Amino acid sequence: MFLKKAVLALQALVAASLLAGAALAGPVVNSGHIESELVSQEAGIAPGGTVYVALRQKIQEHWHTYWRNPGDAGEATKITWTLPAGWSAGDMVWPTPQKARLGPLLDYAYEGEVLIPVPITAAANAQVGTTVSLTADVFYLVCEQVCVPEEAKLTLMLPVVAGTPSADPQWGKVVGDVLAKAPKPAGLKAVFKLEGEALKLAITGGPLKGADLAGAYFFPYSPKVLEHSAEQAIERGPEGLTLTVKAGYDFIGGGTVPAEVAGVLSTKAGAWEVTATAGEPPASAKGLGAPPAETAPATGVTGGLVGALLFAFVGGLILNLMPCVFPVLSMKAASLAGHAHDAGKVRVQGLAFLVGVVATFLALAGLLLAVRAGGAAVGWGFQLQSPVVIAGLALLMLLVALNMSGVFEIGTSVQGVGTGASSKGGVTGAFFTGALAVVVAAPCTAPFMAGALGYALTQPTLVALSVFLALALGFAAPFVLVAFIPGVLKRLPRPGAWMDVLKKGLAFPMYGAALWLVWVFAQQSGPLSLAHLLAAGVLAAFGAWLYGLAQASRAAGKPALISILVALLSLGLAITVATFGALAAQPPTAAATSAEAPSGPGLASEVWSPEKVAELQAAGQPVLVDFTAAWCVTCQVNEKIALSGAKVAEAFKAQNAVYLKADWTNRDPAIAKALADFGRVGVPLYVIYPKGGGQPVILPQLLTEGMVIEAIEKAGV
Amino acid sequence: MSLTRRFVAAGLPLAALAPSVAFAKPAPDFTAVDVDGKTRSLSEFRGKTVVLEWVNEGCPYVKKHYSGNMQGLQQAARADGVVWLTIASSAPGKQGYFADGAAAKTWMDSRGAKPTTLLLDPENKVATAYKAKTTPHMFVIDKAGQVVYEGAIDDIPTAKVEDLKTAKNLVSAALADVKAGRKVATPFVTPYGCAVKYKDA
Repeated sequence: MFLKKAVLALQALVAASLLAGAALAGPVVNSGHIESELVSQEAGIAPGGTVYVALRQKIQEHWHTYWRNPGDAGEATKITWTLPAGWSAGDMVWPTPQKARLGPLLDYAYEGEVLIPVPITAAANAQVGTTVSLTADVFYLVCEQVCVPEEAKLTLMLPVVAGTPSADPQWGKVVGDVLAKAPKPAGLKAVFKLEGEALKLAITGGPLKGADLAGAYFFPYSPKVLEHSAEQAIERGPEGLTLTVKAGYDFIGGGTVPAEVAGVLSTKAGAWEVTATAGEPPASAKGLGAPPAETAPATGVTGGLVGALLFAFVGGLILNLMPCVFPVLSMKAASLAGHAHDAGKVRVQGLAFLVGVVATFLALAGLLLAVRAGGAAVGWGFQLQSPVVIAGLALLMLLVALNMSGVFEIGTSVQGVGTGASSKGGVTGAFFTGALAVVVAAPCTAPFMAGALGYALTQPTLVALSVFLALALGFAAPFVLVAFIPGVLKRLPRPGAWMDVLKKGLAFPMYGAALWLVWVFAQQSGPLSLAHLLAAGVLAAFGAWLYGLAQASRAAGKPALISILVALLSLGLAITVATFGALAAQPPTAAATSAEAPSGPGLASEVWSPEKVAELQAAGQPVLVDFTAAWCVTCQVNEKIALSGAKVAEAFKAQNAVYLKADWTNRDPAIAKALADFGRVGVPLYVIYPKGGGQPVILPQLLTEGMVIEAIEKAGV
Repeated sequence: MSLTRRFVAAGLPLAALAPSVAFAKPAPDFTAVDVDGKTRSLSEFRGKTVVLEWVNEGCPYVKKHYSGNMQGLQQAARADGVVWLTIASSAPGKQGYFADGAAAKTWMDSRGAKPTTLLLDPENKVATAYKAKTTPHMFVIDKAGQVVYEGAIDDIPTAKVEDLKTAKNLVSAALADVKAGRKVATPFVTPYGCAVKYKDA
């Protein structure tokens, strides 16, 4: 007796002194396929207090243990506690399990590492300063292809302390996280109803509203209420969801229909404890169809980072062929032609272009990631959603065009006029050509690129930036390659007067680009601001002309200070006017946009909203959603070529289909979220919702009329 | 397409009106080769009470019951004129697969197992017909060919031999009810054990 007391006292002393207030876990027990130990959330326990002690198990790869309802086979992990008199252990807190499929059977299991916390309550008369030993006899079945029952005897020494104990330095946060994530009741309302052999489980309430319900699953506590292995069909509703499951023994096997069906509803947004009672499923739990397709497979990016990098590079290459890049193509072409016969210069310019593209891509990507990290729902192309940026770009394009027309020169104010761009001007010019190409053209997404971007934005910053880097390299590759392959440019004629003609001719696509940006601006900002921008354009052109005059006078040896001052003044004025216009922007309301009459026999569009899609689907109508933006040239081309013909309109009419437009010209969190649901961060995106409420289908970024007609006919069957 | 849908929709309420179908559980007939290479079928035992027992010799839960409990049940049941069919449904390459009848017999002899016979079901046909989930998974079929008990062998779902002493055996209870001409008091208890080793989907 004395000996036992002495040993206990010694134990307590050692524990207390060695650990200075931390709970001391017994040795980790390896039972063959699993390493187990007890860990505590707190470093001690107050008399009468409760702390969570967790069974922590590291399970060998490919093996699994079982949840409280093991599913079709298996056995739940069990803990038998041996505690000092007056102490007690509460119910195990089971983390949400995973589904483990074995042929036609389905088990509910844990893989990898699992912590199962248990609340331990100390006796009210526990003595402060002592250390108690908690013992758990743990029994668990661990299975891979075969099953092995294993057991472990685990101990934990826990100091009894006065007042609130401090968190265990090693395990406090870990156990806390497990408890935070464990399914808890969240005031969800749930009813069940048997229909034939199907059990309808309607669950509504706070956290489900607007949550991502793809892959939602109900884990029942009782093994007898539903067929574990059968599919659980999901229908979303404004306030929650309805799961249709195959009823189990209690309902259709001759058992007693239970008063309650309890379990865990697991979704991407979280897992909650749910207790359903018999009743009529409410209308708010249905009507919005199945969740959209799982994002990852829809975008076709597989193979993680390597796949994404490859897709990004190829996407960048293809981006050069997308209509989006047309506006800046002429700049690239003119710059190339200008130096075709000076291999060294061309190479330097090629590299400068590359640097411009990469720097701008990374800068935009960095900004995008930073803004997103701040919680704003923005996507790729966000820079063109700002009227200020559009106005600035429009003026810049105008100046570039005027420059190409020969109205003024850059970087040659003192040296003669008409000798072509200096080498210094050439390098900076190439850099800015690259930058401009990215800012204006890259916001449209190309095939392959969409998936890579979707992947990038879900990854840590460094991974995301490397995907953007691959994209930039792909985008810059053709121009750089042309610069470095000697034979290509040699085929052009020797420099001469033709070059000046070509350059002046290529100015016109740039005027076009400027006009296009003005058109985008008009849609973003309304007619009043448009007037501002047009005035700014005239002022800028006037300034450029004066500047050109001054250059000419200087070249002729005459003073031109006044001309230069006036030129700069008008430019400054142009920028001021444009900025005021942009800031006074009054975007046309949605109603005004939708009132826009369809021209000719074309397809009439309606304004998109998630509710509208759900409503049309519920009414059994196929839906095409066109995620577009005025600044996305590819989108405009698709709409013109594939979506405005009479044939498409007829096909839509025949299938009673509806064409919805989600216009992302201005920032819109709802559209950004919808794009994210499909794993996208940019436009264009074309989605067809079939009539029967099946999985939405995503169409390619470049459409043809035939493609749209075929897809809409399929959706109408 | 829409026409078929309408027919299906019209048919649904009819099925709902016939709940008795769901509760009557005729035992699906099957044929399988036994350890002696003979083709056996359930229908040949019509008029007799039949017990089906799913087995996987490597499963710890099966081992628990073959510590003597299962053999005792088999002997007692057969003494009462009950047909006892042990079924091995492990797919080739999986735990519990018997390459041939001889391999199965060797195991039976080593355990002193005394079923009427052991059926080889490597293609999972019988297991699929009965939706067998675990080893052991037990079925009791009465003389009229109705499943009167399905599920666990007893009421303590563990792999520990020492639990046999205190467990209530649900198969012998069902057999006693059948013998006495009573309705089986407990017709279903969730089966426990290792998953039946079906072939990979």
